[in-house]
Amino acid sequence: MPTLTIDGQTIEAAKGTTLLEAAQQLGIYIPRYCYHPNLSVSGNCRMCLVEVEKAPKLVTACSTEAAQGMAVLTASNKVKAARRDVLEFLLINHPLDCPICDQAGECGLQNYYMEYSLAKSRFNAADKVRRPKRRAVGPYLALDNERCILCTRCVRFCSEVTKTSELEVMERSDHSYIGLKEGTALDNGYSLNIADNCPVGAFTSRDFRFKQRVWFLKKTPTVCLGCATGCLIEAQHNENVIYRLTPRPNAETNTWLCDYGRMTYKAVRAGDRLTKGVIKNGQIDLKPALREAAARMDEARRSAAVLGSPWLSVEDNAALARFAKDALRTENYCFDFNCGQGIKDGILINNDPAPNTSGVKPVKAACGGITLTELSRRIAAGRIKAVLMEARAAALIKDALKAAGPRLIVFAANTGEIPAGAYAALPYASYFETPGTFVNYQGLLRRTKPPVEAPEGVKPLWAVVNELASCSGTSLGLDSVEETLKGIYIK
Amino acid sequence: MGFKLTEEFKAKAEKICTQYPRRDAALIPLLLELQKETSYIAEEGMDYSRVKAVTTFYTMFNREPAGKYHLQVCRNISCHMAGAPGLLERLRKKLAIAEGETTKDGLFTLSCVECLGACGLAPVIQVNDKYFENLTAEKVDALLENLRHEL
Repeated sequence: MPTLTIDGQTIEAAKGTTLLEAAQQLGIYIPRYCYHPNLSVSGNCRMCLVEVEKAPKLVTACSTEAAQGMAVLTASNKVKAARRDVLEFLLINHPLDCPICDQAGECGLQNYYMEYSLAKSRFNAADKVRRPKRRAVGPYLALDNERCILCTRCVRFCSEVTKTSELEVMERSDHSYIGLKEGTALDNGYSLNIADNCPVGAFTSRDFRFKQRVWFLKKTPTVCLGCATGCLIEAQHNENVIYRLTPRPNAETNTWLCDYGRMTYKAVRAGDRLTKGVIKNGQIDLKPALREAAARMDEARRSAAVLGSPWLSVEDNAALARFAKDALRTENYCFDFNCGQGIKDGILINNDPAPNTSGVKPVKAACGGITLTELSRRIAAGRIKAVLMEARAAALIKDALKAAGPRLIVFAANTGEIPAGAYAALPYASYFETPGTFVNYQGLLRRTKPPVEAPEGVKPLWAVVNELASCSGTSLGLDSVEETLKGIYIK
Repeated sequence: MGFKLTEEFKAKAEKICTQYPRRDAALIPLLLELQKETSYIAEEGMDYSRVKAVTTFYTMFNREPAGKYHLQVCRNISCHMAGAPGLLERLRKKLAIAEGETTKDGLFTLSCVECLGACGLAPVIQVNDKYFENLTAEKVDALLENLRHEL
């Protein structure tokens, strides 16, 4: 374990630690472009140059290993001058189109220029090397070669993380540019991480471009519900609208976030968002829809069934269980879900497309119920007249539903989810609008934190269930989200 | 026109690959071999971005079909001082092409290259794999004639 000093502070660094990492441990920030903690070290941007006593030249902190007795200076005049010069070089051919650049506000060049340079360019603007401006590369990314500083984070991401190697540095010296094979698209399922990694405005998200200036965005830490992996994410939003989802890197689950997960926020304000009740394909207000649904469930009573859903939170599943047991008093309810969980592609995407298969287990443990096969058997045998469930869960028993055709009363956030032939659909607040508890494939507890408010009149599913019960004359007493979890033990 | 590798080349390539610990390490030798056969590396043949990156990094790979004789005039300091610019100008005029271009009959391609490592014998022109040294205007004329008649 080498002991060294950085700006006078002594640190005992683990063997193999670089100067940049050691400084970070001391809380000293060294500016960097090409360095990324989760990619290999490339050492080409020269922004992290620091002075090491007795070393003849400045060294790159990202690629220099900490050694016994080193005395490192990160803020000496030499280092400051080097940073200023490196920035001057990087800015020589940069187009300075910040007013129309989406990266403005979170741009490495802007930030470091303000922090470390503030020098006037000595370069004639007319002599700048011009390059192709924005063009779409794949479904999610736009590439502007002129803004690029050739840090190669994107190249390393594609070769090391997704191992698809679409991007390369073409040509050399001041002819070089980031490019991909002509006629191909950059679509590897994780491409938007490249927009996150890009320290400048070269790669930007086509989805987010020109939607919102980043300094207006508020950030709410929440959880991705795109699959059972349950990545930690940050929802960035302004004035009740979500604009993008970005990963919150953590050691347990995720550093990155897949493109599919990033797009899940779109359902919240999609054109088919359900804000009213649906009876036989016609939209009506929630109250009469609830009364109608309650009447149909009452009619079926003991031959009614309730199916939980691995797409719903623990709270909402628990409310459905209470409804089956205390309002319908039926035995036909099922909270039995199993799926071979595990990472499918070696990066993040899970075999299990539902976010809460593990989280329904405590509901089953507390409330019992029949197995999914048994429920399917009873439905197929025609013993069930009406089923109450969440829309996407219908796929789990679709053969039985097709065989017998019971009346379907579903909860749906978007009309696209409603299974064909459903009798009624009831709206509920998505987990971007209401808190919910989930358990990911590793058994880790994940709580969503709502960044935005639900459309007017749309309530959390547990509250809709509570109203449904009161329409048929039963009080479930679900007045708060905490109430739903009574008697349910989540480890 | 689609780009296709011959079976013969593929067999040779397989052999070259075995000489390296990793197959991808054989990329440059393979490109050189290909260039020997076809005079250039065709962009449509580059199935991987990596191939384009390597081909465009090294100036010694031709990206367009080259003539039968690739005249490469050294333009670095020793040759420059020994009269290379005059030779280059002479070649331009005699062949009626600029650098990077090929004569219409497909015989000559003219280009400028960096130091060929033969400064003691400047000025130097490399024709395909061969060096021609201590050149003068007369020698260049003779060289062109010789090459033409070796048809």
